[in-house]
Amino acid sequence: MTNVLTRHIEQRDQARLAVALRGGAYEGLRRALKLSPAELIAEVTASGLRGRGGAGFPTGRKWSFIHPQPGQPVYLLCNADESEPGTFKDHYLLKHDPHLVLEGIAIAAHAIGAAKAYLYMRGEYASIARDVQAALQEASAAGILGDHCLGTDFSLQIEIQLGAGAYICGEETGLIQSLEGKRAYPRVRPPFPAVHGFVDQPTVVNNVETLANLSYILVEGAQAFAALGTDRSTGTKLICISGAVARPGVYEVEMGYPLLEALRREAAGVRLGRRLKAIIPGGTSVPVLTAEEAAPVMIDYESMQAAGTMLGSGGMIVFDETADMPKALLRIAEFYAHESCGECTPCREGTGWMAWVLRRLVAGEGRPGDLELLLRVGGNIEGRTICGLGDASVQPVRSFLQKFRPEFEALLPPARDAGPEWQRHGHGPRTARHGAPGDEALRSEPVDGPPDAAL
Amino acid sequence: MPMVTIDGRQIEVEPGTSIIQAADRLGVEIPRFCYHPDLRPEGNCRMCLVEVDGFARLAVACATPVADGMVVRSPHTSPQASQAVNGVLEFLLVNHPLDCPICDQAGECSLQDFYMHPDYGLHKSHVDPAEKVHKRKRIDLGPRIVLDAERCVMCSRCVRFSADVSGKAELQFIQRGNHVELMAFEDRALEDPYAGNLADVCPVGALTSRDFRFKRRVWHLEHTNSVCAGCSTGCNVRIDHFQNHIERVVPRRNPSVNSSWICDEGRLSWQAAQGGERLTQPASGGGYPPEIRWSEAVKAAHELLTDRGERPLAVLGSASATNETLLLLRRYAEQAHSEHWLDFRLAEEVQLVGEREDQLLRRRDKHPNTLGAVYLGLAGARGGLPAMLEAAQTGEIGALLLVYYPPLVGEESAGVAEGIARLLANVPRSVVLTTHRLPYLQGAALQLPVAAWSEEEGTYTNFAGTVQVVERAIIPPGMSRPATAVLADLVEHQVYRRPDADAERLFAELARTVPAYQGMDYAMLDSRTATTYPPEGRMHYGQEGFAGR
Repeated sequence: MTNVLTRHIEQRDQARLAVALRGGAYEGLRRALKLSPAELIAEVTASGLRGRGGAGFPTGRKWSFIHPQPGQPVYLLCNADESEPGTFKDHYLLKHDPHLVLEGIAIAAHAIGAAKAYLYMRGEYASIARDVQAALQEASAAGILGDHCLGTDFSLQIEIQLGAGAYICGEETGLIQSLEGKRAYPRVRPPFPAVHGFVDQPTVVNNVETLANLSYILVEGAQAFAALGTDRSTGTKLICISGAVARPGVYEVEMGYPLLEALRREAAGVRLGRRLKAIIPGGTSVPVLTAEEAAPVMIDYESMQAAGTMLGSGGMIVFDETADMPKALLRIAEFYAHESCGECTPCREGTGWMAWVLRRLVAGEGRPGDLELLLRVGGNIEGRTICGLGDASVQPVRSFLQKFRPEFEALLPPARDAGPEWQRHGHGPRTARHGAPGDEALRSEPVDGPPDAAL
Repeated sequence: MPMVTIDGRQIEVEPGTSIIQAADRLGVEIPRFCYHPDLRPEGNCRMCLVEVDGFARLAVACATPVADGMVVRSPHTSPQASQAVNGVLEFLLVNHPLDCPICDQAGECSLQDFYMHPDYGLHKSHVDPAEKVHKRKRIDLGPRIVLDAERCVMCSRCVRFSADVSGKAELQFIQRGNHVELMAFEDRALEDPYAGNLADVCPVGALTSRDFRFKRRVWHLEHTNSVCAGCSTGCNVRIDHFQNHIERVVPRRNPSVNSSWICDEGRLSWQAAQGGERLTQPASGGGYPPEIRWSEAVKAAHELLTDRGERPLAVLGSASATNETLLLLRRYAEQAHSEHWLDFRLAEEVQLVGEREDQLLRRRDKHPNTLGAVYLGLAGARGGLPAMLEAAQTGEIGALLLVYYPPLVGEESAGVAEGIARLLANVPRSVVLTTHRLPYLQGAALQLPVAAWSEEEGTYTNFAGTVQVVERAIIPPGMSRPATAVLADLVEHQVYRRPDADAERLFAELARTVPAYQGMDYAMLDSRTATTYPPEGRMHYGQEGFAGR
């Protein structure tokens, strides 16, 4: 299998410039700087490279939206706020091959005409940020980055900025707000960052893995890259396999590689010889797949879509037959309730409400109608929020409930229990209130004692 | 220009207009919390979701610009939008404390109004009150504002007002998810001289006015349109009163004067007009003669002012008087039997009239009608108070008619107060028309009680020459009467024919005789065209359900 991203990842001291240069680092940048920005964009467009942050938007097209006014600065932001649960590929790249990412940043900056780029890393990556900073300084001192990159007219200042630990900072407009020193409240689009981005200037936000592909595309050529993978999903993908597998970790696979094959070969199969129950293929925001559904699925954008899910960030979470799906969903829902930034109403109130309902379900205090309530709340979030976090929080709820419904139904109380105590006492059916003492409606409900007494 | 169709009705609007602005112009009511016409749109409440033909998702009307040929359906006609808005409203109420019975906003609360709307409200609650997220209540944010974080809908109007309008940036959200709450840094008292507007922009009961809290249920209030008399800016206001007592003053939206704002001093200036010791009956020599009737008082004033020999009559008006009062004052002076000296200046009003005190609204001239007095020709060559005082000290003035209103914002300057006292001491034959019993007016031979701001009708001309109407909200106390009525009586004593004292007819005369007012019509004057935001009576229930916020 061809390695695009992890060729040198196991090379000792790859983070040091001398070692990286021996492996061919910055060769892609050297070639890119010989091309005009338009030629460079055409090359990357021809490679078929799509954004690896989750949405899969064609990278060359994203760049082509940048049309600055004369004299207007353009910014490139590298999104290293890797916060999607189950995703740890960017960390892997930045830690083991920072020059590959820095090279990608420089190539992209040249393509869009940016003289300033920011590498926005989540606060939890502070330890590797120091190493990336050291690599950046080494490359700048060697004349590769900074003023007159590789002796050309192109100059690029790269700055590393650490976030303070919020999921929403990975959303591109949230990231921009955070980088501007504001509360990371996503912005209403339009206007898009390509027009009004960082400090109101044209801005491109690219994921770490996306940028790491650029060196290969420039060195080996767009055709070589496009030859990898499938027709519409070219190249390779880093997948982060975690959960109930024998060998969790980051693996590079060619696009179109069978999902279960990757589990078996790369992650050495499900742990303890158990059977696979389900797999979340692209970070917790994408719909879960049952073992049966996962069988024909390939690791590429189209195959995932055909199976009703998404490749997302490539964060694959594996559940074996012993997994408690309601508990797993509760954990996911708690994450989104905790990470909702609180800006727009549906996500702010809805994620918390879904987590609350799941919490009482898992605690054995579920109420009749709770599953319908979850779906209704989810439906009221979906498509009505400023950013994608709202939708992301609903996907797992909807898919878990649909695919593992019996496990959730088992948590509901027997049908005869007439609902929550507060409804029974204060807001009971009107007919009951008018009934005489001894009326059927009154007798069937326990008036005193805790609501659990009926169970 | 783009033509947009909303609920089947068409309107042509300027490019860049948002859907909600076009709908407001059409009179299609789109529910909203975060949108405010004088704040930058943020699109966070999601209450203004509308269906737009050709859009995959519902769009927020506040942040979506119209395009030519766009077809929009509001929650009133689109089941999809109605369902979505209903969902948003349900979310907003999930963690709302529902303490309406003790909430000051009740009656003018957007949450209440929208919940009662049959097109998107009236859902059945699915939340156990015991499960709600609780936040901090009754947080003291200084002398103007009390914060209840639990009632907040996080619309960020206040945050944007504080950051973008007053520039103080004293408010921000903290925490995340459904624990987000509004906070002033370290709960410090707001230093914003415009903080009172925060209670106005708040669509719910999160920010309430400390001054108005618990004083009156809003549905008891009567509303009267007026113009603030605190300085020369002339901010449009609405006086809310109950049983002849002013309860609060709130701004009325007038984009060409004050947008939707008013300063705190102006907001509370009614307390100066109503407070202090009001003069409630004619008073001579500083004391109260028993049981003097107005007819006797006017006769006494007439005799004081006319039996002055050959020496001239000095008439000193006020830049706080209405144009109509000043018109009658001028007529009285002109019809005096001998030479007269007419002016209105107490100090530097005319020099200060346009000078800003800050970047938003306040001006250094604390009189509402300086330019009106200038337009009427009251700024004569001989000078105002200082020149009169000089002349009085050499015995050149026979009698003095003074109209004096104490400033509603701040205190009268010591120099002016002393000047008036010395002028009165030097002119034994003096009549003062005033609102308050003030130590520096005690030297007057006769004091006549007149109506203060909010107690009389008339017009003011602000620093920019905009003529605006003040309407009468309450009845003046005791025997006080509008200054126009008193002056009409005095004119009648002179010429045996009573002039009209009605504000509208007096203004018609102004429009005929004063060049600056040529062609103006009382019914069309500027403050009459100003609106409350959102427009009054727009909501479905109750004629005043939505007024003022």
